[in-house]
Amino acid sequence: MSQPVIRAVGLTKRFGAVEALRELDLEVERGEVFGYLGPNGAGKTTTIRLLLDFIRPTSGRIEVLGGTGADPRVRRRIGYLPAELPIDPRWTAQDLIDFYGKLRGGVDPGWVEVLLGRFDLDPRRRVGELSTGNRRKVGIVQAVIHRPELLVLDEPSSGLDPLLQYEFQLLVRELAGEGTTVFLSSHVLPEVEALAGRVAILRRGELVTVAGVEELRQQARQRIELRLARPADATRFAGVPGVVEAQTDDTRIRLVVEGPVGPALEAAVGLEVQRIVTHEADLEDVFLSYYQEQPA
Amino acid sequence: MIVAARLVRDRRWSTLGWALGLVGLTLFTVALYPSIKDQPSFDELLADLPDTFRSVVGYDAAVPLRSPAGYLQARLFSTLAPLLAVVFGIGAGARAIGGSEEAGTLELLLANPVTRSRVLLERYLASFGLLAGLIAVFGLALLFLAQPFGALEGVPTANVVGACVAVFALGLLYGSLAFAIGAAAGRRGLAVALATTVAVAGYLVETVLAAAGDLGILRQLSPWHWYLDRNLLAEGASPAAFLLPLAVSAVLVATAWALFRRRDLR
Repeated sequence: MSQPVIRAVGLTKRFGAVEALRELDLEVERGEVFGYLGPNGAGKTTTIRLLLDFIRPTSGRIEVLGGTGADPRVRRRIGYLPAELPIDPRWTAQDLIDFYGKLRGGVDPGWVEVLLGRFDLDPRRRVGELSTGNRRKVGIVQAVIHRPELLVLDEPSSGLDPLLQYEFQLLVRELAGEGTTVFLSSHVLPEVEALAGRVAILRRGELVTVAGVEELRQQARQRIELRLARPADATRFAGVPGVVEAQTDDTRIRLVVEGPVGPALEAAVGLEVQRIVTHEADLEDVFLSYYQEQPA
Repeated sequence: MIVAARLVRDRRWSTLGWALGLVGLTLFTVALYPSIKDQPSFDELLADLPDTFRSVVGYDAAVPLRSPAGYLQARLFSTLAPLLAVVFGIGAGARAIGGSEEAGTLELLLANPVTRSRVLLERYLASFGLLAGLIAVFGLALLFLAQPFGALEGVPTANVVGACVAVFALGLLYGSLAFAIGAAAGRRGLAVALATTVAVAGYLVETVLAAAGDLGILRQLSPWHWYLDRNLLAEGASPAAFLLPLAVSAVLVATAWALFRRRDLR
């Protein structure tokens, strides 16, 4: 049980002169929802394609479910939702479910019916006639019909409206609750933040960091607004540990604090603070700093 | 054979269209025969034409054009039948791997518990199983529809069957070439273009160039020579017309398999 579901060791992939992935070391534990974040072109899809044996590593290796993605028995236990979903437009959703279901050694028809119902999908319509959102639903359903142990999602909420995103997140949480491991690749933060426990951040083919979402949130800068009874000066915050920025706007003082806010609050004593307005720590800031660090 | 069955299902309507077209062509051809057979002037006309033209229409001095074998060879077996088999073969071969990879559907299929070898093999068998079915429909249509018009009088059924197998083998050969290029490169357009170029070149070598001068070994290498070597209906197909294309096809599939297993998908 302690064996990781995904383990990449020194995984490197070059396409000609382009190094898409460099010396990636990564471990995804059983049962966790693992976020894989990075801007477009960072190497996220390359990692997934290596994992599923669509492409082969230049050096290093990637292990999945104790084997390799080249082994059909391993792929039987994986559900995959690609970023783009090319399906023969003449097929119906039912065609796809039947075909893939057979290849995967049969699926539970009751479960398929539940999925189709949840996503309000008519399986008899041709994929070519479906809207983008409905096509994504077909992709989601085909990825989970065989109740995979590992769910690999590449940009899952692209093309989903908010309602569907919500339904999709509900499904992922439910499956994760039943023990499914989820590898969630995305360039948008909110969906990762909403689902993942741990996050890896990838930039230009290199792993920048792996951390818990909470841990990252701790690192995030907090924005605090003090609303005062009368105009005051912000100079008293200069030099206070953790305060990165302090601005005055008549009866408001806006602070940006890194780390604990205690010292800043102590410095505010005697200011006749009427209200304190805070904003939820924004992970976006953390990620932006990771993305932008050391420009090449 | 789940992958093969799916391919056959996907192609069922277009293949049926091809089959109906071939039956129509056969009916049209045999129905015209009675009006030709009493016209000796046709043979005289051809005797006066240049060798190049005669070889293109498959004329053989020993088999009069007015005879069933001469007529069907000229109208079908040296022209339209192999041409259509080659066109269908190249189309089906190029689409099987290269086409679906280009469309992106291959990757999603390979995320399922199937090996690349299995997908390659099943799609090959299904694609050329369809070609075999198509040629079988054509052969049966010919055998039945020729009766009322006397268009197969004096032609042994075995020769008709042999000619059809030779047509299939020729389509299989060029189709396998397109299949192999598609599987190696992941591109449908490239597979169609290259295989068509090779097929046209081989055809020109056997018909136009060979009639114009002695090409020696070059001519022996053209699959069209193996096929057009003789009047298939009058003399029966030579074993070379089946065995050589089958051997070349086997080599092509083995090459496709070796390359497709190892490479990155596009």
